[in-house]
Amino acid sequence: MTDFLQLTVAGLSQGSVYALLAVGLIATYTVRHVVNIAQGDYATLAGLGSISLVTAGLPLPVAILIALVSVTLASVLIERLVIARVKNLTTLVSIILTLGVSTLLQAIMLLIWGAEGRRLPAFPGNDLTLGGVSIRSQELWMLGALVVVGGGVLLFYEKTRWGKALRASAEQPVAARIVGISPAVASVIAFAIAGFVGATAGVVSSPIYLSIWSGGLLLGLKGFVAAVLGGLVSFRAAIVGALLLGIIESYVAGYVASGWKDAVAFFILIIVLIIRPAGLVLRPNAVRV
Amino acid sequence: MHRVQRRLLVPAAVAASIALALTGCGASNFGGDSGGDGASEEGPIKIGAVLDITGVGANLGVPEQNTLNMLAEQLNADGGIDGREVELIIKDNQSTEDGAAKATTQLIENDDVDLIIGSSRTGPSLAMRPLVEAAQVPTISVAANAAIVDGSEWVFKTAQNDLVVLERILDDAESKGYTKVALVRDATGFGEGIADIITELGEERGITLTATESFEPSATDFTAQMTNIRGADADAVIIWGITPSAGLAQAAYVQLGVGKPVYQSHGVANDAFFEAAGPAADGVIAPMGRLLVADQLADDDPQKEVIDQFIADYSAEFGSSPSSFAGHAFDAWLVGTQAIEAAGTEPEGLRDAIEATTDLVGISGIFTMTPDNHSGLTADALIMALAEGGRWTLYEE
Repeated sequence: MTDFLQLTVAGLSQGSVYALLAVGLIATYTVRHVVNIAQGDYATLAGLGSISLVTAGLPLPVAILIALVSVTLASVLIERLVIARVKNLTTLVSIILTLGVSTLLQAIMLLIWGAEGRRLPAFPGNDLTLGGVSIRSQELWMLGALVVVGGGVLLFYEKTRWGKALRASAEQPVAARIVGISPAVASVIAFAIAGFVGATAGVVSSPIYLSIWSGGLLLGLKGFVAAVLGGLVSFRAAIVGALLLGIIESYVAGYVASGWKDAVAFFILIIVLIIRPAGLVLRPNAVRV
Repeated sequence: MHRVQRRLLVPAAVAASIALALTGCGASNFGGDSGGDGASEEGPIKIGAVLDITGVGANLGVPEQNTLNMLAEQLNADGGIDGREVELIIKDNQSTEDGAAKATTQLIENDDVDLIIGSSRTGPSLAMRPLVEAAQVPTISVAANAAIVDGSEWVFKTAQNDLVVLERILDDAESKGYTKVALVRDATGFGEGIADIITELGEERGITLTATESFEPSATDFTAQMTNIRGADADAVIIWGITPSAGLAQAAYVQLGVGKPVYQSHGVANDAFFEAAGPAADGVIAPMGRLLVADQLADDDPQKEVIDQFIADYSAEFGSSPSSFAGHAFDAWLVGTQAIEAAGTEPEGLRDAIEATTDLVGISGIFTMTPDNHSGLTADALIMALAEGGRWTLYEE
């Protein structure tokens, strides 16, 4: 039982990273119908950036703040320089474009930070043991980041007028424009959110999983699987899906074989796409455009 | 739309034909000089290297790349070998087997190299082996698994054999009265066969292997493996992998409170281990070469002079101290260039010269190769090191 709970804790913390990335992916998909392959690279970029700033002598919170803001700006810049330039942006085109952006970002990170993985110092806090299950304080930070940042984005999109306006600009672009919502502004805000949550995932996970230039693609794909579980539109379903994915991966590694761990996500992806393309969303037609 | 396509068509066709021409040229080089017709005995000496510069083996490949570049520069500054310049061609295999095979094929067919160094890890090295054996190019791997050179004709290696490393670990375990060990191993070539060797070597020492777990070198979470190890019946645990994964595994091991003594392999003989494991590294015992404990060696240690010089050169050039992997590359270069100096670049002569290497003092040990022993190091090449306060210290057994 202890082992089972231990694997669950590990799965939840890993899943929280996938969840943040899934939130970022959905943030841009709902507004722009863009599947942003570079989403995972935001995480590594923020991780590596904050590590450099800490090495340069800045206190951890300051370093993290600068990294979060910079990556958010980078994401906006990518939107302005790449995404916004394309006239007839289809989802397929967006995948190809952002795959290019991802490759570029990875090359830049490789040049700046080199090929070796680096670690951000752990956030303050004490590791604890509950009934034989040990929990790292960093894992609590990761889950906390999901609750605060992921939950914040969810509430913003679903409850605020701004958030609703963002979704409206995707679902009814012409009508949205008529009532005064600028598609360009909506797109920028969506990419800023995607950059911020991606960067958050990167800094909270770096102390445990390390940051390495090439790590973003796999992370982003796992986030994408979670987003597909949310039908690419539902934040709630995607977050639940991401946590489930993390837990299942952990059980497979613990009870079957660790080599199968990375295959789980893609197996789930195939199954979902064949059997239930709307993912875990309960009323698919109500939300799907 | 049509016009755009036509406009693109011409440059595309030109590019394609240039590409074809280039690869065609490359292919026509194949076999041109390597047939031993003497043409390659003049002009620059070409040494190729295939290293794990990016990907999971980066902690190994990067310092190896640094070392080879530095040594090639030094050698050419001193006038090369017999007045011939040494041209070093380094290729990145991206830590993959097919990357290593591709790079090796390019080095043989396009660059017509006289000697190949690499790869950094066992898997890619094994992928290179059939290619260099078929093309008869002397090759010196810097990876560890004995399978790389087992029965080989053209392949050598400079890292200490996994067999002697495990002997040292199990000797230490026996002296402490351990009778059961558990193994957490790298799932790739480096960890292949380790469980069998432990079972075999353990038999004569009264030690049994009670559990085996494995991990991918790209893994970041080790909770599953360590949870299983926590439930295993063992007196000590052997973690067998390279950094950063073996370091992350160590951190998970301590964090999950398994609490048994840990042995690691020579795959963690670098400072990156401490970066990955953090304070969890303290207390780990690992057999490794003398490089990382150079400042604690006796003054009359036969390797001290060579090691000190290498550390001084490397630190001056790159601002950080070299890892054991840098040392493996140094040794490969040393063995290779000494043999070229003695016998030139004619393949069979060069291979025989490498096999004739005797008492050559390197970084990882003192090498004596023979036609049957393409590894060249004995158990004497290893010391036991203890991780203490973020560095390796000489451990008195």
